[in-house]
Amino acid sequence: MRVPALAAALVALGAGTTLARAQGLTPAGGLSVVSTRVRGTDLLTGTALGGQGALALGRVEFALSYVQGKIGPDGGGAPGQDLVEGVALLGVRPARWLRLAVGPHARSYTLTGGTQLRWVFWELRARASGAFVGSAGRGYVELWRALSASVNAPESFDHAQGGEAGMVVHLARAPLELRLGYRIDHAVLGGGTRLETVDGVVIGVGLSGR
Amino acid sequence: MRQRGAAVRRHLTWICLLVCGWSAAAAQGAAQAAGSPFAEGIRAYQNLDFDQAAALLRRDLARATGATASASERAQGLVYLGAADLFRGRRDSAVAVFRRLVQLDPRYRPDRLVFPPEVTSVFDNVRVETRAVVLVAPPDTEVSAGTGAFTFWVVASAFQTVEVTLRYQDGAPFRALYAGPMGDSLRVQWDGLDAAGQMPPVARVLLRVASRAPTGELAGIVQLPLDLRVVHVDTLPWPKPPADSLLLPERSGSRPALRALLGGALLATTVATLPSIVGSDHPSGSRLVVAGAVGLAGALGYVLHRPGRALTVNIQANQALRARWQQGVAAVKAENVRRRDDVHLAVHAGEPTAIKPSAR
Repeated sequence: MRVPALAAALVALGAGTTLARAQGLTPAGGLSVVSTRVRGTDLLTGTALGGQGALALGRVEFALSYVQGKIGPDGGGAPGQDLVEGVALLGVRPARWLRLAVGPHARSYTLTGGTQLRWVFWELRARASGAFVGSAGRGYVELWRALSASVNAPESFDHAQGGEAGMVVHLARAPLELRLGYRIDHAVLGGGTRLETVDGVVIGVGLSGR
Repeated sequence: MRQRGAAVRRHLTWICLLVCGWSAAAAQGAAQAAGSPFAEGIRAYQNLDFDQAAALLRRDLARATGATASASERAQGLVYLGAADLFRGRRDSAVAVFRRLVQLDPRYRPDRLVFPPEVTSVFDNVRVETRAVVLVAPPDTEVSAGTGAFTFWVVASAFQTVEVTLRYQDGAPFRALYAGPMGDSLRVQWDGLDAAGQMPPVARVLLRVASRAPTGELAGIVQLPLDLRVVHVDTLPWPKPPADSLLLPERSGSRPALRALLGGALLATTVATLPSIVGSDHPSGSRLVVAGAVGLAGALGYVLHRPGRALTVNIQANQALRARWQQGVAAVKAENVRRRDDVHLAVHAGEPTAIKPSAR
């Protein structure tokens, strides 16, 4: 069921890319598999599927991403619980290699005890990228910090920050790009009494107009 | 009675025609006479004072030279003088004047609005009987020797036989161009070469047209000096070889390789230390997989962009650039060969002279 859905999504992405280019916009989009590990009061692992899209008009860029999957206790045979995550960012590019963005980041997952933990961060992100293997291999590093957050946990929110780093390989004869990265989000609650870390490997394929 | 009436009407018609003809002639002649060196004689002719007209015109024609009167003005003076002599009853004198006129310009025809049929018919008879030719050639021509042609016209007063030849200045034959009959005009071409197909070895030749009467007797010679100058077309300079700034490097430098190696190492380190950067103390080992992959990509990039590696794309681009230059050189060489073979001959035509055969 997932393969036809992925194929349909890629086709829709390609059509959207063509349409947007015709209107002077620079679109980008992709699908990814995210190997996720949540380490807080529980240790949960799982795999999620995600989709990303971005639309650039000059130096301004609007980006959306959505990840959904199942996570469960590490090594346990119990069925996983839902993990849902979404980000919306409005950014600018002061330089070709730098993007600054701001926007909400929401995440929801269910702990072993059945408690559903919901996070909403307002984040400020900075992303730097540049070619390091010819012009086809680009590396990127993105760091973010929460400007404010709300979470349905008994402890008060203290601070949160995270980042992602990896590389994107552009295929020479197609507007396709392959992405491999490592991402991590780290939140501190109750003055350090509770720590929540979500990290994982991102493997993606995307279409890029750039 | 009826016959007498018809005769009167006939006379009246003639008188009207004569009056109209004289009026038209006066108007046309007045326009022609203005500014002419023969204006006095023409005016006397228009006033029907033919003796005075003949005397004035004869005097002015005797004084006229090429500098004071053009050929067309002299022709105008001669036709009025011939007409005046004719109306004075001096037909032989008129015929002699008209013969001079035909020899001066075989193309000349009296204006039939100015001169009555008595004059034009005498002139036509003289023209047919007089064998005269004139050469019409462009003053300056440049021809490609052998393939081009110096073209000129021989215009004749009447049907006759002509010999068109080129001669050395001493009169020796250089090249025969045409021999045979001609009507009003004849178009003749010379390819710029001598009889042996070579460039002329002299700087001046004479274009000579000898016209003969039907009896074969030489009727006249018109000669036109042609100044010749051999013109070699300049060859083209070779195109300059492509500048070094246009050529792409054919061997890779060290920067791309170092960028791949150092960039990969830096990025791998960043991935590995990202948990520490964000303050997490129990990172997963998966980051090391990503860090290793990034480092490996950097190392691979170093190998792919190693210093001194032949850059095939740049080599091909440079080869294409050099090939285009060599094609340009080959084209210029071919053009220069063509230009060296393409010798031009500049021909300047001088003033024609007429030579009358000596009387036997």
